[in-house]
This record gives sequence, C-alpha cells and structure tokens, in this order.
Amino acid sequence: MRKDLKYLIFKDLIGGLLITLKTFFRKPVTVQYPREKVTLFPSFRGRHALVRDPETGEARCVACLKCVQVCPSRCIEVKFEVDQETGARKMLAYNLEALRCIYCGYCEEVCPVGAIVLTEWFEYSSRDRSGLIFNKERLLKNWDEFVERFPEKVYTNKFWNLKGVPEVLKPAPKREGIMVKVRE
Amino acid sequence: MKKEEPGVLMPEKKSIYKEITYSFEDPFFSPFEIQMGPQHPSTHGVLKLRLILEGEKIVDLEPVVGFLHRGVEKLAENMNYAQVLPLTDRLDYISAMNNNTGYALVVERLLGIEPPPRGKYLRSMVCELARIASHLLWLATHALDIGAMTVFLYCFREREMILNFFEKICGARLTVSYPRIGGVRLDVEESVLEEIYNFIPYMYEKIEEYEGLLSENRIWLDRTKGVGVITGEEALAYGLTGPSLRGSGIPYDVRKHFPYDAYPEVEFEVPVGKNGDTYDRYWVRLQEMRQSLRIVKQCIEKMPEGPVCAELSPDLDMPLYKRAYRAEAFGESTLIAFLNEGAQIVPKGELYSAVEGAKGELGFYLVSDGSGKPYRLHIRAPSFIHISALKKLSQGHFLADLVAIIGTLDIVMGECDR
Ligand code: SF4
Ligand code: SF4
Repeated sequence: MRKDLKYLIFKDLIGGLLITLKTFFRKPVTVQYPREKVTLFPSFRGRHALVRDPETGEARCVACLKCVQVCPSRCIEVKFEVDQETGARKMLAYNLEALRCIYCGYCEEVCPVGAIVLTEWFEYSSRDRSGLIFNKERLLKNWDEFVERFPEKVYTNKFWNLKGVPEVLKPAPKREGIMVKVRE
Repeated sequence: MKKEEPGVLMPEKKSIYKEITYSFEDPFFSPFEIQMGPQHPSTHGVLKLRLILEGEKIVDLEPVVGFLHRGVEKLAENMNYAQVLPLTDRLDYISAMNNNTGYALVVERLLGIEPPPRGKYLRSMVCELARIASHLLWLATHALDIGAMTVFLYCFREREMILNFFEKICGARLTVSYPRIGGVRLDVEESVLEEIYNFIPYMYEKIEEYEGLLSENRIWLDRTKGVGVITGEEALAYGLTGPSLRGSGIPYDVRKHFPYDAYPEVEFEVPVGKNGDTYDRYWVRLQEMRQSLRIVKQCIEKMPEGPVCAELSPDLDMPLYKRAYRAEAFGESTLIAFLNEGAQIVPKGELYSAVEGAKGELGFYLVSDGSGKPYRLHIRAPSFIHISALKKLSQGHFLADLVAIIGTLDIVMGECDR
C-alpha cells in the first residue's frame, strides 16, 4: 500500500479535502440560538403548567391524585380538602419540583381532566432552587405565559392519548381539547 | 478492589517487555502509574483508568467505574412496571429507544402480552433510527479523539435530524419513553413517516461521505489498523457482543438469533469483520448503519394499519388501576383474572430477555414475585462488560492508542454504571 501510486499522489487526503470543500458551499445548519430559535414540535415536553379554566379562572384539577401516584420521581405534592356534603374534592395546594422531574410526561397522560400539562416551553431557568419549585400560582402563571404565544383557540396535546383506550372511552376534556381564552 | 500502595507496587510488578530493562532507581525506565479520567474528554463520560506505563507503553490497566451510579436497578424495585420505563431511558442515553424496547419486551413476556403488528413495526423502526443515531455519535467522537474534527461536525448534523424525528414522534429527543409495555405510546403521523422515508437516501449519501473522509485516509489507517486486536475466541471469552464482537468475525446478532418485534419479517445482513482491530469495528458499524437504513425502509413500506398498543397493556398506575373501568371497556380480561386471585397482579417467575442494543446485547433479567413491582431487575449492560476487555485490548499499545481503543468499544458510562 505504501508503494501505491494512489498513496504517492495523496489521493486519500485530497479526496477528503474535496468533500469538505463541497460542504463549504452548502447552507449552514447551525441555529444561532439567542437570535434564532429552534422549531419545537407539538407535544414537546417542556415546562409544566396547570391549565387555567377560562370560565372559572381556576385550575381544572379535581385532586384525584393520579399524577402523584404515577410520577416516577415523586415530585408532585397535592393537598386537598373534601367537601363534607357533596364528597367533592377541592385542590388546595399543588407543588411540583421541576428540579427532580424527569420529563416523562406520565402526569399529563394519566390526568383525567387534562389539568397538568407539559407545555412547549423550554426557556426557563433560575438562580436558586426555590425558583424551580413550582407552586399552584406559579404553574397557573406558566400556563398564561404559554397561552399568550398560542395562536389557536383549542389546545390539544397528543400526549393526552390514554394508552390503549379508544377515543370514545376517553374522558371528555381529553377528547375535545382545552378551550384557550384568546385575548381580543 | 485491591488497594495497592504505589511505592509497594512498582518493584513487585514485572514488565511484560523483557527487552526493556529498568531499575527502580532510574526514574526514566521504571513503570509509573498515572490516572486517566474521570474528567478526561476522551473517556466518553466518567471512566477512570489507572494505567501502569513503561515509557509510553501500557503495561497494565485497571478501569475504575461507578462515578455515574444512580441505582437504577434498586430504584426499579420501588416502582411499578410502567414507572420503571422512563428510568431505562437513562441507561444508554444515546439510543434510549433500544433500552425501552428491551425493558418492554421482558415485561411483555412476563405478562404474556403480544403487541399489535403496527406497534411492532414502529418499535423496530425507531430502534433502528436510534441505532443510527448512536453509531453517528460514536463515529463523531471516535474520529474526534483520533483527530478528525470534520467528521465530528458532519455526524452531528445528521444526528440532529434523527433527534428531530424523535421529537416529532414522541415529544422528546433523548429521553424518549416511546416504546411502552405492549407496543408504543402513540401512533406516528403519515407525514413524519414520509419524512423519515425521504431521509433514507440522504443518509446513504452521507455515510458515503464519512467513508470518503475516513476509510482511505492514511492517518486514520495508521491510527486504527492493528490497534486493539482481539480474536473471535477471546472476544467471546470476554463476553463482548454487538459490533465489538462482530468486528472479530463472529456473526452473533440478537436480532437474527433471537428475533423480536418486526425483525423476523424484514431482511437484513449482519456485517462481520475479519481482523478484530479498530478499523474492522469501524467498518462493521458503518455497514450496520446501512443495514439499519434498510430495515427502516422495509418497516415503513410494510407498515400495517391498526392499533399501536395491546389492549392488555398495563396502565401507568398499574397496581391500583380501576377494575371496573377495565371490565367495562374490554370485558373480563386476563389481568382482571390475576387481580381476582388476590394480590397477585402479574404472574410469578424469572425471565431474561435481550435486545440488540446499539452497543451490544442489552439484557434484562427480571424476577417477579407477583406484586406490581419487580422483585429484582438486573440489567446486562454491554458497556460494563466491554470495559473488562480494555486491558486485553490495550496492553502493549502506546498511551495515545488507548484513546482509540476506548472509542472503538463504544462505551457509554450511563449504561455501565447504571
Ligand atoms: S413529567 Fe414525569 S417526572 Fe415530571 S412531574 Fe410529570 S410524571 Fe413526574
Ligand atoms: S391527575 Fe390531574 S386532576 Fe388528578 S390530581 Fe393530578 S393534576 Fe389534578
């Protein structure tokens, strides 16, 4: 191989250099991040939010504790009270530690009313730990910030698909999507 | 691990190079110990190597692992079967689809669930895409370690496209959790399938580009030919699997020998090398990328219609799931029969099943005691086993070659330390 003519005329190196030269004239694929943004595809699993019901202005959560049960990193904590007469539950506090979350999307998948969602929002950070421990107000605010960007009226998320459950058996809020209040 | 004092070690250790004579008094010709890693950029994570060198030659080597230990196996004992799945993303975080599939398969075999055909095909498709992504990352870093910066940038360009597909399919790029017990989580839209289909010819072209850059390059040949040679028998004895074994000429592939999912229905070849050196393993992986593209193409062409997840696939909150809801939806099912027997939610038993991960045979050994949680889950991580062969591969080579040898084994520390 050493005595090869191809070797002597540097065919291997020149061939490689030609490939790099070709790439020189292609369009760059780099995204200049702070100025440009990558396109996020629907149902990206980003920052959590509690959906604000446009009618009542409160969270839709019915405190069924399914998300608490199913979270693999056990980072959700829900406090609730039970109405003595009707037996209905009312969510009082909802704490979510985003630092421990592994963004599996299980919570939004099991939630029967589509209350907790992972929004398509990836730019969030904090200088201290407490900034990433979301309480109820913070989660509702997250939703408001997310909806501001959201152009359409009905928000559906393909991650609400309950696994193996036909469309008709799905709880109604998951079938129809969430009505998003669009500012006039 | 035996603890040795460096001062005691040096006179006792015999050099394997008899031609080099040294005395302990002369500092230049005595073996000395250096620590490579855990922050070394070419150890691919947090691998630490204790090296005994003689001049620049490696006499002895001891890998020190465990810096990335997160206790996945122990964590799994405290979660139900569905909840363990996102943890397996974090094993070999470069090809998480394969890990999910491996775990899903072992639980499916325990529960006796068969995924529907579309689920199987989708799973095979994403597994092969993940394998390509993993091999691209391997090629990028391996070439970068040896000094080819261009390949690094090119590979990441294509890997980005595959990760975008994953994001379109399931909402995440690396920690996908897309394959589920009994199929996959969501159906893939036709438009995404089309995009993947159009990506295949593009990728073939790009693989040719990498080959044009590397395969004949004299520096690449000098750095890879005859480096880290291991024969077939030795490789088997060390328990190497995957491309590292096939580089030595043994055509063992879990996809062929113990087929799962859609692999029995698609055609592909198992490329094998001859010499068992770094170059052959490089060649095998590049050919494997081509075969993976072939499988992806066939999967998309043959993709049947229908559901993507088995009806009996367990809910996420498995031990506490609503019996009435299930019975209403599907009639009296096997899982309800298990429930009616008492606390036994799943069958008892022990089983092992393996998938062909991007790095090698990725096995899951599961012991079930009938409760909703695994009693014990052992993960046979190929990276952990490959690290044990490092000493054999690198003895007698120069220190600079060690970087090539670590690269050629394709080690991911997240999987090794678990
Ligand atoms: S995404 Fe997963 S880890 Fe995060 S809060 Fe939801 S269930 Fe828990
Ligand atoms: S699953 Fe939904 S409704 Fe139930 S507690 Fe969680 S957020 Fe609230």
